[in-house]
Amino acid sequence: MAKPRRVSGVDPDRRLRPNARRILAVRIDEVYQYDGAVADPANVTELHDMRIACKRLRYLLEIFSVAFTEDLDPIIDQVKELQDILGDIHDCDVQVPLLQRHLAWLQEREAAGARELVGSRAAGAGEVDAEAEIARFAEALSSSGRGDERPGVHALIARRRQERDALYARFLDEWRRLKRERFRARMERALDLA
Amino acid sequence: MAKAWPVPGLRPRARFRDAAGRIIITRWREMMSYRDGTLAGEDIEELHAMRVSSRRLRAAMDAFEDAFPRKPYQRLVRQVKEITDVLGDARDLDVTIENLQSVRGSLDDAAQPGIDGLIDRFRVERTAENPIIAALFERIEVEDFGPRLEAFIAKHTGIVASELDPRPADGG
Repeated sequence: MAKPRRVSGVDPDRRLRPNARRILAVRIDEVYQYDGAVADPANVTELHDMRIACKRLRYLLEIFSVAFTEDLDPIIDQVKELQDILGDIHDCDVQVPLLQRHLAWLQEREAAGARELVGSRAAGAGEVDAEAEIARFAEALSSSGRGDERPGVHALIARRRQERDALYARFLDEWRRLKRERFRARMERALDLA
Repeated sequence: MAKAWPVPGLRPRARFRDAAGRIIITRWREMMSYRDGTLAGEDIEELHAMRVSSRRLRAAMDAFEDAFPRKPYQRLVRQVKEITDVLGDARDLDVTIENLQSVRGSLDDAAQPGIDGLIDRFRVERTAENPIIAALFERIEVEDFGPRLEAFIAKHTGIVASELDPRPADGG
């Protein structure tokens, strides 16, 4: 995760507003530094870092809003919207590998069951009780006793990937709209930074 | 989501240092107001509210870092970060379980065992978080973290927690 940049020139014995302006100017810049990178959906780290930058900016706008005469709520809502979409994208980016690891674990559990079956057949060759063997295999396949869990995990992975694609498309639309509508300039005007 | 407590005496023309004291103390007390409900574990919204408050507190501590001497302040920030992280782990699992429960109905029968298996797995992990949360809050108490934080803030901002006495908006 990208660390926030140090802000120079903050004087705690001055009023809130001039200090808030200095800090916010840097945090706005931090959001916009990802502008190029987030045009590629594969840049998972940059999308995550942009979410963190949006989160920092949003909280600071909330904290410092008391010092500004302009109503910052519409700006805060907009930054939050961006942060939320990026957060949902991040959830998908985290969940898919987690589900894949779970799937690998289920497959290993099945393989262990099969190995056990083969081992027991080899040891007791000549006097195999077929029904008991099948029951044991079924037990080894599903220790939870609820049947094959893999289709559900595959379905969930497919769903999360679809959601990720849709969320990314939404994010890109939103980000392009904000740039078209000169959101940064509006924000800077409201904070008296322009 | 739980509403942020109003910050007593915070004025638009406040000094940065004064605002730092008022906001940090208010957010600290706000966060700790959810402690008992979180430890009871009967309503996941209590933990959620505490997590949200802890993030507000962290954000305030980051915003006002220039009002305090760096090293001792960073030690306090690290402790608050640990609270946020521990609560976050539990909250993430609560949300994951809720999401799986809601997605379950929209998938076909063949998918149900897999979703149930995941819900079981995350429930086990979530249960394992409870003693971690309890241990953290016990340590905070044993180490007198709250009084130390409030004394530190008072020393560097002049804002005394007992005089500020922040409360939720509805007075509850």
